[in-house]
Amino acid sequence: MSVSDNPVSETSFVRRALVTFVYGWLVLFLILPLVVVFVEALRQGIEPFFAALIEPDALTAIKLTLLVSAIAVPANLIFGLAASWAIAKFQFRGRNMLITLIDLPFSVSPVISGLVFVLLYGANGLFGQFLITHKLQIIFAVPGIVLATIFVTFPFVARQLIPLMQAQGNDEEEAALSLGATGFRTFLSVTLPNIKWALFYGVLLCNARAMGEFGAVSVVSGHIRGYTNTMPLHVEILYNEYNFVAAFAVASLLALLALVTLVLKSLLEWRDARNGKISAH
Amino acid sequence: MEKSVLTKASHDTSPTGFTPVRIEVEGLRQSFGKFPALNGVSLAIEPGELLALLGPSGSGKTTLLRAIAGLATPDDGRILFQGEEANRLSLRERRVGFVFQQYALFRHMTVFDNIAFGLRVRPRKLRPKKSDIATRVQHLLKLVQLDDLGSRFPSQLSGGQRQRVALARALAIEPRVLLLDEPFGALDAKVRKELRHWLRGLHNETGLTTIFVTHDQEEALELADRVVIMREGVIEQIGKPADIYDHPATPFVCEFLGNIIKVNTTIVDGLAPALGKSFAPVGDASKGPAVAYVRNHDVDVLPDGSEGAAAKLLSTRTFGGSLALEFDVAGFAAPVEIHIPRMSDAPVAFTAGALYRLKARKAYVFSGR
Repeated sequence: MSVSDNPVSETSFVRRALVTFVYGWLVLFLILPLVVVFVEALRQGIEPFFAALIEPDALTAIKLTLLVSAIAVPANLIFGLAASWAIAKFQFRGRNMLITLIDLPFSVSPVISGLVFVLLYGANGLFGQFLITHKLQIIFAVPGIVLATIFVTFPFVARQLIPLMQAQGNDEEEAALSLGATGFRTFLSVTLPNIKWALFYGVLLCNARAMGEFGAVSVVSGHIRGYTNTMPLHVEILYNEYNFVAAFAVASLLALLALVTLVLKSLLEWRDARNGKISAH
Repeated sequence: MEKSVLTKASHDTSPTGFTPVRIEVEGLRQSFGKFPALNGVSLAIEPGELLALLGPSGSGKTTLLRAIAGLATPDDGRILFQGEEANRLSLRERRVGFVFQQYALFRHMTVFDNIAFGLRVRPRKLRPKKSDIATRVQHLLKLVQLDDLGSRFPSQLSGGQRQRVALARALAIEPRVLLLDEPFGALDAKVRKELRHWLRGLHNETGLTTIFVTHDQEEALELADRVVIMREGVIEQIGKPADIYDHPATPFVCEFLGNIIKVNTTIVDGLAPALGKSFAPVGDASKGPAVAYVRNHDVDVLPDGSEGAAAKLLSTRTFGGSLALEFDVAGFAAPVEIHIPRMSDAPVAFTAGALYRLKARKAYVFSGR
């Protein structure tokens, strides 16, 4: 879309300066670091790059990261849907407190989130004795990592949906019900289509954070190589060992995941917008 | 051809596919927290009747409509559809066509899909064939005069068009009763008028029992067969528009229907004086304090020296075919506004500051203050 010469809009100088500034800022803080990741990863050629990725510990880290987000994202998708549905469609006691609580993981440092789980489930924690007698390990094991990840990422889906569902209100659902649709049908053909992009975007953000989470996971994982190392933790270990090529190779994989999800989102949005236009005319 | 009216030409006057249903409401109560929205409402709506629920906001009219629709569950009382208790019916079984105030069209569906929705969500056994649905939707589009707009999305329609889509969608399920919540509330004055006439025509055509909610007395009096005036969760008066207008039962109804002048007065020997004339009270009070309600246009303005209440003209203002005159009258704290038809050959010339006499033609006197 071109900017029209509109008497109400800013002068062309201000407009150009503003756009240049925003682009400059993005290049400096977003594009450049991203490029550096890939440049460093490929500094010694393609072979060391792939070697770093198929090394057993790296593979375990990749698998663990995928496993954790495969549990955490659906869990938060369900929680996010339930929470935003409840908050947007019903009036109940403690509703405002619930909205504030959902934001908690955003305002709490991830390290503290991790520590909380250690205090609860660690050997000396609140449930520690119980877990030991039943031979259950949560901290320094996969369950702990999953719990910490769920905690850190649970606002993403709900935060996307709540304002949208509040703005849309209850009318369309009521209309569907009065036309004879079942509750499930109403959810599928009225509620879901109205929130699908916000939901999808929320899931993408949730996934990106779940795969990239460092602080909370770092506290509960114990950094056991080949067992409880996720990709971000693996990157840190390699970096601390001055193994820069391997560190950046794994890091580039994380960056690539982010890029792929971004492209996927743009593609789907573009396709939907085009379909909407075609059937509209 | 289907049996439904919707498949017929719109000027067909033969009996329709809709079966008019009698609706009874008995002792309906509902409160939201401590606020009683409905405080024991009983009402019978005849088959094929066009009924208006009229009242200020907070009077419970929308709550009553939603209770009849089954969108809200009353705390107490019964609703009968043709003698059958509706409280036990699911929304689907009630078959109520509900038109929402903001239309509540499905924004991601085309006009066609919106109208077809109620048919497509039926259980497989009751669901019409795909081609039958298409035929029915086309007929409905024709009925609401939107033949060519089936592929549009709601966001591409004007307010009046959305309103008609909402109506077509409600009619698609062949409802037993049509309920409309402030159907013209969000439209501009001209479209309101047009749609009002059109809705009256549609009602004559379908013969459906129809209830609509409004806070606009003009709309209710013009459109409805009967008007129900509500206030604070109870019914103040039910009647034909002319009866309600000519014989308001309570001071509230008086004040709500049009512009009035409130005159504090006293009943002596069964008569109460108000603006130059005496009137018998509503009811049988023979003495005591009372309030007389005089409509602004029920007052004659006479030259000074005639019989009537002395009044000094403060200002005149024209609006459309009427003239609004503001008088200072002894015993009134605020200026008294009188409306008279505006005629070029007015028998009395109006000059600000001059003295006149006011004489009420009609007043409604209620004892007590």
